[in-house]
Amino acid sequence: MEREELKLQLKNHIIKYLNLLEMTPDDIKDDQPLFGDGLGLDSIDSIELIVLLEREYGIKIQDPKDGRKILADINSMLDYIQEHRAK
Amino acid sequence: MYIHKSTCISPQQTYSDVDLEKLNISVNNMLNVVEPKYDDIPLNVLRRMGKAVRMGVGAALPLIKDSKNIDGIIIGTANGGMEDCIKFLNQIVQFEEGRLTPTNFVQSTPNAIAAQIGITNQNKCYNITHVHRGLAFENALIDAQMLLRENLEFNLLVGGVDEISSYNYNIENLGGWFKDEEIDNTKLYKNETKGTIAGEGVTMFVVNNCKENSIANISAIKTLHTNNTEEVAEQLKLFIEKNISPDKNIDLFLTGENGDNRLQNYYNVCENIFDNNTSIARFKHYCGEYPTASAFSVWLASKILNNQIIPQHFIKCKSNSNKLERILIYNNYKGQQHSFMLIEK
Repeated sequence: MEREELKLQLKNHIIKYLNLLEMTPDDIKDDQPLFGDGLGLDSIDSIELIVLLEREYGIKIQDPKDGRKILADINSMLDYIQEHRAK
Repeated sequence: MYIHKSTCISPQQTYSDVDLEKLNISVNNMLNVVEPKYDDIPLNVLRRMGKAVRMGVGAALPLIKDSKNIDGIIIGTANGGMEDCIKFLNQIVQFEEGRLTPTNFVQSTPNAIAAQIGITNQNKCYNITHVHRGLAFENALIDAQMLLRENLEFNLLVGGVDEISSYNYNIENLGGWFKDEEIDNTKLYKNETKGTIAGEGVTMFVVNNCKENSIANISAIKTLHTNNTEEVAEQLKLFIEKNISPDKNIDLFLTGENGDNRLQNYYNVCENIFDNNTSIARFKHYCGEYPTASAFSVWLASKILNNQIIPQHFIKCKSNSNKLERILIYNNYKGQQHSFMLIEK
């Protein structure tokens, strides 16, 4: 799958898993931080994103410290998915 | 215990621009709530909420905003967020007990409603949830009553919440609690068959001991468990003797009659206690049947007392008098759980 296609798919998954009401993929910028001041996600959302990676892409994040880097923004998630995806 | 403020989210127009005359029609034997826009709930919080939690918090926030202080949050709910609970349980099976998302679980416990109301308002006072099925709301009221006896200055938020979830609808349908034939709520009392129509809703009240500026007074509550119709009638007579002096009239007997022919005799024996000085009205065609529907009946009674009008579609039998000062509510859940509540001006 091309990166652009994967990106759109990932953004749609994020909207669905986190039930981001009234948001479209275009509203999530590629380099916008997902947590804190960016998209404003919190610790419960981080678990939802870890579950998303596992269910949709067969990726298991074992060390929570890695999660902070991987889930920083859309670009970092895409890099990790392209490198590690099992599905 | 005096009601000072109330909100109601129901299948009808009861939240804003209340219109008791208008009657929305049930679909597939269900009366689903008309949900308002929850402007007071932050979007980040709202997106995680299931329907029961959303409705509960949505109905509570305007009341809390308008109140100086809330010293306790007491909620009655038989099922809490059952829909989310089942989503979580299904995930356990679907993903073979692997990693699960916590949101559905966190939001589905019955006490999530009272907890979310507390968290959203940074309210760290008494926070409790009663889950006694068809008497959950009554037990919440009794709890509030006891708390107000001990703490005369307290201001409490008390409410009843239940949602229609696919799980509880299907299970109760299989149990024969909803009608096999499709009917609409305008014909609820005409079908002499078993079962009723499903409903859902949230009713919230701010109550305290202060009579001044109150909407209504919940002056007595009694609950009982029995499947004996004569015992229900006997207990109702005792309730009236104990709480209403002989020189005072019960202007309206408001019942939870729900079109289930198996429960009709309970209502008949109770109605027979009254003479033609008491009107008889019913409310389940308006909100449907759910375990905390009695919370809706208290809200309706307070509206009737304030408006001094009983909309025609509620009336089963009209008395000779137009005076409305005292309403006695009788609700029956599945022929086992019964409650009497006396609401006065």
